[in-house]
Amino acid sequence: MIWMTWRQFRIQALTVAAIMLVFIAALALTWTQVTGLARDTGFTGCRADACDDAAQAFIGALQDEAAGSLYYVGNVLLFMLPVLLGIFWGAPLVARELETGTYRMAFSQSVTRRRWLLVKLVIGAASAALSAGLASLALTRWAAPIDLVESRISPATFATRGIMPIVYAALAFVIGVTVGMLLRRTLAAMAVTLLVVVALQAAVAFLLLPLVAQPITSATALNPDGQLTYVLKPSTNEMHLIVPAGTPNTWILERSTVTSTGAEFRGPADPTTCGPVDHDGPTDECRAWLGAQHLSTKVTYVPGSSFWSLQWREFGVLIALTLGLSWFSLWWIRRRLV
Amino acid sequence: MTSALIADGLTKRYGRRTALKDCSLDIPAGHVVGLVGPNGAGKSTLLQLACGLLDPTAGRIEVLGARPVSGSARVGFVAQDTPVYAGLTVADHLRMGAHLNPSWDGALAERRIAQVGLDPAQKAGKLSGGQRAQLALTIAAAKRPDLLLLDEPVAALDPLARRNFLQGLMELTAEQGMSIVMSSHLVADLERVCDHLIVLVASRVRVAGDVDDLLATHHRLVGQRRDNADLGTGRALVEQSHTDVQSTLVVRSTAPIDDPSWQVGRLDLEDIVLAYMSGDAGNGPDRVLEGKR
Repeated sequence: MIWMTWRQFRIQALTVAAIMLVFIAALALTWTQVTGLARDTGFTGCRADACDDAAQAFIGALQDEAAGSLYYVGNVLLFMLPVLLGIFWGAPLVARELETGTYRMAFSQSVTRRRWLLVKLVIGAASAALSAGLASLALTRWAAPIDLVESRISPATFATRGIMPIVYAALAFVIGVTVGMLLRRTLAAMAVTLLVVVALQAAVAFLLLPLVAQPITSATALNPDGQLTYVLKPSTNEMHLIVPAGTPNTWILERSTVTSTGAEFRGPADPTTCGPVDHDGPTDECRAWLGAQHLSTKVTYVPGSSFWSLQWREFGVLIALTLGLSWFSLWWIRRRLV
Repeated sequence: MTSALIADGLTKRYGRRTALKDCSLDIPAGHVVGLVGPNGAGKSTLLQLACGLLDPTAGRIEVLGARPVSGSARVGFVAQDTPVYAGLTVADHLRMGAHLNPSWDGALAERRIAQVGLDPAQKAGKLSGGQRAQLALTIAAAKRPDLLLLDEPVAALDPLARRNFLQGLMELTAEQGMSIVMSSHLVADLERVCDHLIVLVASRVRVAGDVDDLLATHHRLVGQRRDNADLGTGRALVEQSHTDVQSTLVVRSTAPIDDPSWQVGRLDLEDIVLAYMSGDAGNGPDRVLEGKR
């Protein structure tokens, strides 16, 4: 059965292996570029206050290099990899056998249906997990200096780092297999797999991640002389303060300015004191007025230090989903398939 | 005589459509059995139930004394349209058979492939219908099953390919001594190879028996027109047709018919099967019963 699985699977497997090889080679070639820039801009080994500026310089310098583009390519690729594996590895696995009628030949051999599917599921899911795992390991290591600035814990990159791609790849593969088995048409199964996997990624990023993240809320007094800007609504004089992010490598879910009573600060501000903001920021009168309001900045965030515990928690949820779906497909192929 | 396949009240429904209804039959082992019937009689469904590809909705089926499950080493199956893996070569198919069947007879498979002139390096998707059928038969046979089920294996083949296929089948039975059940809606396909015949119409067994017996016990009677002929005990009317002056009957009788008012003639297998398959002639109690259902 292992031979048969490999014989039917080898073209798809080698295609993905080739893509992964090119990607990892590109990371290897630009490896020194990233570490070099981090060192040259003083970001590596920076201390306290100097870090903010060094980080900005590092990211700025990176934008002009090949590594800057590769960073985005890598994120997109690791997002897409599970989708592609689900579509091209998972969906046709059973659907094509049903569509072409070859399942009748497969099931006429001396191998039970459950074993037939189990071997295919295990080999496919393991290959998917392996290829995604290698790509993720390479990208996570390669992008480590960048992730210190850009916060790998935020939903934009969380699913493309650490162990998340591994479980996503396995789950997407099993989703493809199950959808193919239920729909019995390769093309329809591929389309539905695409929708389901993308919807799942969105649901995990926007619903599950905030749920299991256990964000921290902290309030710090607003420094009226620091970096800040605001938007003033001309009709009502309603004021909306914008304070730049001070903490790198965190995922900020919510940020607001509150008054001493805890209510959200909205002004109103006197337009003669706080006029339109120019590039230097608010005027001194306005800063003085803001200081008199006793404002603080309330931030709800997930610190970068909880990255790994969060990864394992989500990994647990998704691996449970993978195993449940595998069990379902093994039950279905015996009881309900034909 | 042991049974290769026993069905008792076997029923298979797909949603609201009934493919096989209350079918009961007993197929003896050690024969080449032809399963004949018109399209939609339930032949394919019966064979797929027999190899475990389908589960019955109701009733019981036993194959070689056990409930059929797919993945059995004792039952071989060649499905309708003889599906093969288009992307795999002939040699790959044999390797698949060797990997997936513990009882695989590699020598037999290679010999047969060479015999029917298949190129091992050729992709199965490029084979003609006849070659595909030969490949599928080879894989099913090299598994060395005790019972080989063939679902309309020659339906899509041209006469020459059909003859070659049946020739191959006969050689296999002579060498291996396996029981074979093959279905077809054409008697001519089966006549040459089968020694036992079952006529299935609308899930019911119309007639079952050894081909020689069937040939010996069926007679065509031609005589003056009479509407309700009394044939006497031990004789069953299979089919009747009338013109203004003449009646033609097909009768099953173990004893010779010596009524001088009938002109008695012999029937070939195709005539007998057609007589059982043709619709409206009254034929004893079970046809009446069917009308009431």
